[in-house]
Amino acid sequence: MSNLLLCQGNFCTFLCPHGDDLCLNSLKDLFNRATNLSQDIYNLSSKMFKEFDKRYAQGKGYITMALNSCHTSSLPTPEDKEQAQQTHHEVLMSLILGLLRSWNDPLYHLVTEVRGMKGVPDAILSRAIEIEEENKRLLEGMEMIFGQVIPGAKETEPYPVWSGLPSLQTKDEEARHSAFYNLLHCLRRDSSKIDTYLKLLNCRIIYNNNC
Amino acid sequence: LYASLLNGQSPPEKPKLIKCRSPGKETFTCWWEPGADGGLPTNYTLTYHKEGETLIHECPDYKTGGPNSCYFSKKYTSIWKMYVITVSAINQMGISPSDPLYVDVTYIVEPEPPMNLTLELKHPEDRKPYLWIKWSPPTLTDVKSGWFSIQHEIRLKPEKATDWETHFAPKLTQLKIFNLYPGQKYLVQIRCKPDHGYWSEWSPESSIQIPNDFPVKDTSMWIFVGVLSAVICLIMVWAVALKGYSMVTCILPPVPGPKIKGFDIHLLEKGKSEEFLRALESQDFLPTSDCEDLLMEFIEVDDSEDQHLMPRPSKEHMEQGVKPMHLDPDTDSGRGSCDSPSLLSEKCDEPQAYPSKFHIPEGPEKLENPETNLTCLQAPQSTNGEGKIPYFLANGPKSSTWPFPQPPSLYSPRYSYHNIADVCELALGMAGTTATLLDQTDQHAFTPSKTIETGGEGKATKQRESEAYSSEPDQDMAWPLLQDKTPLFSAKPLEYVEIHKVSQDGVLALFPKQNEKVDAPETSKEYSKVSRVTDSNILVLIPDPQAQKKK
Repeated sequence: MSNLLLCQGNFCTFLCPHGDDLCLNSLKDLFNRATNLSQDIYNLSSKMFKEFDKRYAQGKGYITMALNSCHTSSLPTPEDKEQAQQTHHEVLMSLILGLLRSWNDPLYHLVTEVRGMKGVPDAILSRAIEIEEENKRLLEGMEMIFGQVIPGAKETEPYPVWSGLPSLQTKDEEARHSAFYNLLHCLRRDSSKIDTYLKLLNCRIIYNNNC
Repeated sequence: LYASLLNGQSPPEKPKLIKCRSPGKETFTCWWEPGADGGLPTNYTLTYHKEGETLIHECPDYKTGGPNSCYFSKKYTSIWKMYVITVSAINQMGISPSDPLYVDVTYIVEPEPPMNLTLELKHPEDRKPYLWIKWSPPTLTDVKSGWFSIQHEIRLKPEKATDWETHFAPKLTQLKIFNLYPGQKYLVQIRCKPDHGYWSEWSPESSIQIPNDFPVKDTSMWIFVGVLSAVICLIMVWAVALKGYSMVTCILPPVPGPKIKGFDIHLLEKGKSEEFLRALESQDFLPTSDCEDLLMEFIEVDDSEDQHLMPRPSKEHMEQGVKPMHLDPDTDSGRGSCDSPSLLSEKCDEPQAYPSKFHIPEGPEKLENPETNLTCLQAPQSTNGEGKIPYFLANGPKSSTWPFPQPPSLYSPRYSYHNIADVCELALGMAGTTATLLDQTDQHAFTPSKTIETGGEGKATKQRESEAYSSEPDQDMAWPLLQDKTPLFSAKPLEYVEIHKVSQDGVLALFPKQNEKVDAPETSKEYSKVSRVTDSNILVLIPDPQAQKKK
């Protein structure tokens, strides 16, 4: 399919001013890889959450505590398809970047603290490590692409800061498990958001809403 | 109330929420399971509130999803938000709420199966035939915008088989299946899964009949492959047949037998003495550089006026009118330092002394060639300690070079290691042919007896073979002693070199044994001055300038 039919709009013309196939194909490839990464991060976090839930959270009702506990809830993310489709791609991009950035720190601590948990299944720990790694990679890639489009995106824009470290380190095992549950619950959700937004952008920008 | 209780009526039992599902991440439906109704008509109310909100809502639609369901349309559906849903059973006696269910629509997506499953058999030319399966995305899923991402799975089997063959088809809406069995009826099903969610149900079966004549494989290709293989096999068979032996020897080389370097039995058997000797010669038996290394030397006694430098013996031969006395063109061979330019220049005017070729004389046995007076002498088995006695072969008066009428290239000075007997026989064999080449003036037999008889100085350094045999050379100058490998070549009348005298300097003066036809004094040749004795007891003789001058 000719690239001329696809990738219209300011984004493409901005990133590929000459509209040449090589540039457009590179962009296509970049998005493809980004969505693969984000999908993988989601899969890992979903499995990790389920594993933790099965192991530590049965009948505990941690979910009640998890409501409204995500540190990224302050970000104005769209919550259904219509909202998302009405959101400008630049906004979507900065949301993605904000989410990715805001998870750098919690992921780091997650790995550290999960390691310290007694009897933690390897399925949880290994996935945590991998997620942390992939998150960094995805952030780098997104900063590379989006940074060119969004004015000021490369600067340190404020992003939600996570302050849940103390609760992860508390001595009370129940409280600690609850804190982990929260964190993993929020991680699963935010990785789903990132994944969906990226796929939206991909189909919108690269394939002209014709995925 | 008391009356209701007496009637066995009671508040309803708690209902239970079973599950909630979203077909396309845009709407969702929840179902519950009613409990006992307590004997009274019971209504069910579903209430919910969203994460982060305090307001409680009631189910907007109890109908669409069927009995005991609640359908949330787009308007009421939010993603990435927790719904806390409760169903309450209400009857006259009371209300019984269910346990709350925490639902995030993101994770409850279960699509419908794909639609419009079509099967088509395709058989393009020059390519393999296949089954082409096509379908459309399930209802209610927005794939185009990217909101919904799907993977697919197809399974098929022959109607009567038990196991399904499963294929994975990410994101596409078509699939090609190859290698189907003709004459079978195939059943096909498909299902799909969103990127975050559950697998759909299998679609209803579609079936297709493969016709009996449906080619399983691309036959033309196989025909081509078969023909090519046959051709290759034929070529290989033919190659093996032609060169079977050499191939076998290539793979399994025969174990080499013992071999004398340069000694080729086959040549000998064929009687190709020339080549045989040449083969031996080529093994570098003869030292080529240093006179001292010579195991065999040639002496050419030159008693003619024509003194030519060694390097052109063949020419000289020709000039003498002698037939192809054809020395080995490599004049360096076997001649050692005697051949060196300095030596040669010395000898310019004089009979040249070529490195002598010693022929092991035969003691008792003599084979006489009456024509040429060629005697093939057996080397005496009992050596006189040192070895064999050299046998000088001297030219006739008119020949300036080699005494041997060498058939072309056969008798080369380098054939020092030939078995004498064989060579003798060869020589004799050749003698006839070369008889005519012989210098008629030189008819000398190699008879030791004769040589012995010749006079000469009393010193044992007579050169006759027999003498040499019979008596140990008393001189310190030992005769050059030949290993038993001297070639005998001469088919020509050989001249004997007789020791004329031994001068005080230790110079051996030699002269040919003349026959009557030769002018003795004139042709008295002062042969060699002993230049040195080599390590292998070979006497290196050079023409004696003094002697010549004296003449």
